[in-house]
Amino acid sequence: MAAVVASPARTLAPGWTAAAMVAPASIVVTIGIVVPILILFRYSLNQYTPAKMMVDAVTIENYAKFFTDPFYVAILLRTIRVAALCTAICVVLAFPMAYCLARTRSRFKNLLLMVVILPLFVGNAVRAAGWMVLFGNRGFVNTLLMESGITREPLQIMYTELAVVIGIIAVNLPFVVLTLQAVLEGIDRAIEEAAQGLGAGPWRTFGHVILPLAMPGVVAGTILSFILAMNAYATPVLLGGPTFQMMGPTVYNQFAGLSNWPFGAALSFVLMTATLLLTVTSNWVAHRRYRR
Amino acid sequence: MDKHSSNIKRRRLMQAGGALAGIAAVGPWSLAQAQSGGRIVVGTWGGDYSKLLSKNIDTPLMVPKKYEVVHDIGGDPERRAKMRAEARLPRGTSDLQGLSAAQMFEMNDAGLCLPIDYAKIPNAQYLLPQMKYPYGVGHIYSGKVILYNPKLISTPPTSFADALNAKHGNKLGIIDIQYQFTMMAAALASGGSMTNYEPGKERLIACRKAGAKILPTNEAMAQALQNEEVGICIMWKARAVQWQKAGAKVETVAPKEGVPLYISGFVIPKNAPNKDGAHFWLNEMLEPSAQEAFAEDMGYNATVINAKIPPETEKRIGFNAEERKRLVDLDYSYLAKNDAALKEWWDKTFKG
Repeated sequence: MAAVVASPARTLAPGWTAAAMVAPASIVVTIGIVVPILILFRYSLNQYTPAKMMVDAVTIENYAKFFTDPFYVAILLRTIRVAALCTAICVVLAFPMAYCLARTRSRFKNLLLMVVILPLFVGNAVRAAGWMVLFGNRGFVNTLLMESGITREPLQIMYTELAVVIGIIAVNLPFVVLTLQAVLEGIDRAIEEAAQGLGAGPWRTFGHVILPLAMPGVVAGTILSFILAMNAYATPVLLGGPTFQMMGPTVYNQFAGLSNWPFGAALSFVLMTATLLLTVTSNWVAHRRYRR
Repeated sequence: MDKHSSNIKRRRLMQAGGALAGIAAVGPWSLAQAQSGGRIVVGTWGGDYSKLLSKNIDTPLMVPKKYEVVHDIGGDPERRAKMRAEARLPRGTSDLQGLSAAQMFEMNDAGLCLPIDYAKIPNAQYLLPQMKYPYGVGHIYSGKVILYNPKLISTPPTSFADALNAKHGNKLGIIDIQYQFTMMAAALASGGSMTNYEPGKERLIACRKAGAKILPTNEAMAQALQNEEVGICIMWKARAVQWQKAGAKVETVAPKEGVPLYISGFVIPKNAPNKDGAHFWLNEMLEPSAQEAFAEDMGYNATVINAKIPPETEKRIGFNAEERKRLVDLDYSYLAKNDAALKEWWDKTFKG
């Protein structure tokens, strides 16, 4: 009897247990993310000189340079536009796919899930290289179009916004499908049947029952896809080419190409803040809309 | 007192014995280390260049002398950023960094390069004077020439003014990562100089408006030439030789305004862990056998005068007496001071 009674001295208070569980991850996040971000923010307030690269200062000139130069503002707006477009297309494409995966009773369900996950086994750069083979002037798509007589001259697909959008959608789609599928699995099929039993058609059932219930998944998938698209690097570089500029490659170019760490750090912060603000706003709007 | 004194003597004797035993133990190791030379980390571009460094220097010349050579492969922007980031450390992570002459200048200007001790590099006595920097050693060189496909460009160009010309429309190709040399060539074609690239800007804008293609990398340009999407561009002669070998039907012309030199070499970071080993590697890099192999394999010219390049290779990769007179070195100080502004113009105005 005494053996099963825990000694009070050995029992941690519930608060301490939670702290002990949260501590390892918190320490990793603090060291791996928060500290570098703070250092980066400090760098963004420094000055750049070509010879010394970075001179200690406390100035907002790097941020002022960004917001007063239409070139950089246009890059940010282009990045937001591409990220929003890719996210919207991803959600529209992913929903029916995720729904089918969630509702199927096929014995090949696991295989279908693997097919969705499979592209994640390949790195972004490798996938972009694959698209380059398809989109090149002498690539598969153009060869097919010209051989079949649809076009006489190769279409310029490489180094365009279209190529970047297709490339980013291909990268993000599995993430959105998996996020939605996990939420749709949790929606009881009986609820749909009840709606249909009460006379709702498929579209009404979708709009009034499935979509509101799946909204946490839609929001999560949207956030995930939007963040990934805002920070895309390999796809815009390889498929967008030198004239299509997005924020990720621009940040890299300032750090590595021009060694302008203060401006690169300021660009990073602008990108991070824009992503955070847009994500939080969309999350808030979605929650307000589907609070019921 | 005597006892105490004898104790001290005995203790000292034991200490001396211990020290001798230590020397005996460490001695052979030190000797072995000295003979082995240790480990050398060479920062370099990847691909063919890294493979050829292994094939022509590391394996035949360093390994038999018991050196272990490791390549830290990466693009030069990343490696330069790494040099800057490691500057405050007492011990860096690389012993040598492969950079272009302009980048070697920039890194030295930032106070990151060890002055080269040429007394430790006997082969440097054969080095061409232009390749001998106080802070770095030239490994290979080539010159910026015009490449054109006679099938697409009927009138052979003779100058940068002919090549970087709006009349070529979308048959003119421009390489994005070569913005410095492109702006320099445009400047030379438009009355500018190595210390003033401004006059070339108008010419480049005209070419862009006429449809000139901007390609991201040298490799993309090679493909575009092969596909005949591009008929004319400017490039290192060494690359032209490689592309000709790969089947591209292009001819080369040394422009009459001058042939800007491209020099690739190595610097030793100030905090290199194995500075002696780095000097030894530089000496082996200048061995005639290594230089001859690089000329043959890569199409770049040797930087030492005692390398025996076969006449047919020399004809292919080198420059004749008339062209040699037109070889011009860059003003690295101008480039270092203006690079950020040039790149900004390139990104915003030219490409934007």
